[in-house]
Amino acid sequence: MANDPKLSEELKKMEYEPLLPIEMTLIKWSLGIGITSLVVLYWVSATFFPSGH
Amino acid sequence: MLTVQESTASLKVGDKYEKKGMSGMTSLILTYLAMLAVMSIGAKLLGADVKKFAIGFTVIFFISYACWFAGHYAYIAATKNKLAAFKIPWSLSLTGESGFIFALLAGLVVGNFFPKLSDKLKEASRPELYIKTAIVIMGAALGLKAAESFTLASNIMFRGLCAIVEAYLIYWAVVYYMARKYFKFNREWAAPLASGISICGVSAAIATGGAIRARPIVPIMVSSLVVVFAVVEMLILPFAAQTFLWKEPLVAGAWMGLAVKTDGGAVASGAITDALILAKNLEVGINYQKEWVTMTATTVKMFIDIFIGIWAFLLAYIWCAKIECKPGQKARPIEIWHRFPKFVIGYVATFFILLVLCWPATTAIGPVDKQLKALKQENAAVEKQLAAAPAREHAALQEKIKAGNDKMKSLNDSIKGPKATIAEAKTATSTSNVFRVMFFVFTFFTIGVVSNFKKLMEEGIGKLMVVYVVALFGFIIWVGLFISWLFFHGVMPPLVG
Repeated sequence: MANDPKLSEELKKMEYEPLLPIEMTLIKWSLGIGITSLVVLYWVSATFFPSGH
Repeated sequence: MLTVQESTASLKVGDKYEKKGMSGMTSLILTYLAMLAVMSIGAKLLGADVKKFAIGFTVIFFISYACWFAGHYAYIAATKNKLAAFKIPWSLSLTGESGFIFALLAGLVVGNFFPKLSDKLKEASRPELYIKTAIVIMGAALGLKAAESFTLASNIMFRGLCAIVEAYLIYWAVVYYMARKYFKFNREWAAPLASGISICGVSAAIATGGAIRARPIVPIMVSSLVVVFAVVEMLILPFAAQTFLWKEPLVAGAWMGLAVKTDGGAVASGAITDALILAKNLEVGINYQKEWVTMTATTVKMFIDIFIGIWAFLLAYIWCAKIECKPGQKARPIEIWHRFPKFVIGYVATFFILLVLCWPATTAIGPVDKQLKALKQENAAVEKQLAAAPAREHAALQEKIKAGNDKMKSLNDSIKGPKATIAEAKTATSTSNVFRVMFFVFTFFTIGVVSNFKKLMEEGIGKLMVVYVVALFGFIIWVGLFISWLFFHGVMPPLVG
């Protein structure tokens, strides 16, 4: 359709937004919880669902 | 031409036979009519144009079936142990599941080179509908499997849950950071892009777009890229898994669930990986039971789907409370339900119905089977003893064997009922499996039809594509492999028999 927005135009329109401290906090928390829970869940699966470990 | 009543085992390759009863062609036509009727009702409920759907579905059905049929050509499909039976010197050993690949390629040809035909099929080109129907059907077969090997099934479920927690928390954060920091995408683009690449493709991109109030164009653009790259993954990852992970079948299954970014793509890749890895293991004499790899891929993918709503809610809350709150934006817990993939209810229902029906039977059979095994071994030992014993001891030993046989007979009688239940359940699930396979083939074909590779030529796509390729092939696939290995290594499917 003629009115369909074009990706190139949409990307050109995109304004630069600096990475906010709150975004960095979100990323760090997400990774922190992810890595901590990796250790915890691995221990839980090895202890309570031992097949294969 | 022979007319065969039941078994075809005594026939040689090249013999022509006809099964007593319905011919193959009649059966195919009736299958088509039955599926057309059911799917047309579904299309009507979805608000589709039923006439257009029926025409499209008819074409999809027969092209898909032709692909499935071609995929079973012995030179392509036969595994090494079947070469002698087919009297052929070689084969590609791709198993009958190569029909899936044929369907995908046929779909890609239609979608990218025959735009008019592709347009005619549009109303029925619904890979998500087909794969979700297949998953609901598969729930029953997996419920039976879970009843037979409950410990393994619960293991897979728990480990699948662990794997996806990691996928959400680690994948998303890294992709979002990469898109923002290195590719300078703004928040409106970076968040749906991170969800689309890292979580679950189309539905995650749309859910995230809704959560942060992005304009609809953003998740649409991301989704079109997700679909195209899922096809690339479907064509590469199952073969990579067969080459490098054939000794760890369930790691391979979880990997498909974590790495391939659409429901259809992930579950379908799981099915191909299942067939390829089982064929490879057969070459070295290991005969694993079918479908455990597919079950693992499906479980992982479904857990991912289930959590999309919760993830979208969390993002909406954090965005509104901490980052930027657009007018009218509010995190509402009801969104979790709205985003919940409802087909999961169907899957859980069929899974639990079969589990509950078969559980008492398998728990009754299990201990008796153990006793029977022990008695068989005992009898075999006594028979050996009998062969070497002097004549005066024969009567006593024969008596012992008879007592053992009598006990085995009475034990076998005691589990006749439960065994009949399991046999009936197996008949039911293997019959429904025919439909599951057909829906899988439709999924492959229609994924091909809707995958428009011309999108990749669109002006401006380069930047979006680079971030996608770097994230997917540089990070997600490998982290997914690591997580799959961590939680699933050493967990093996049961052996046949």
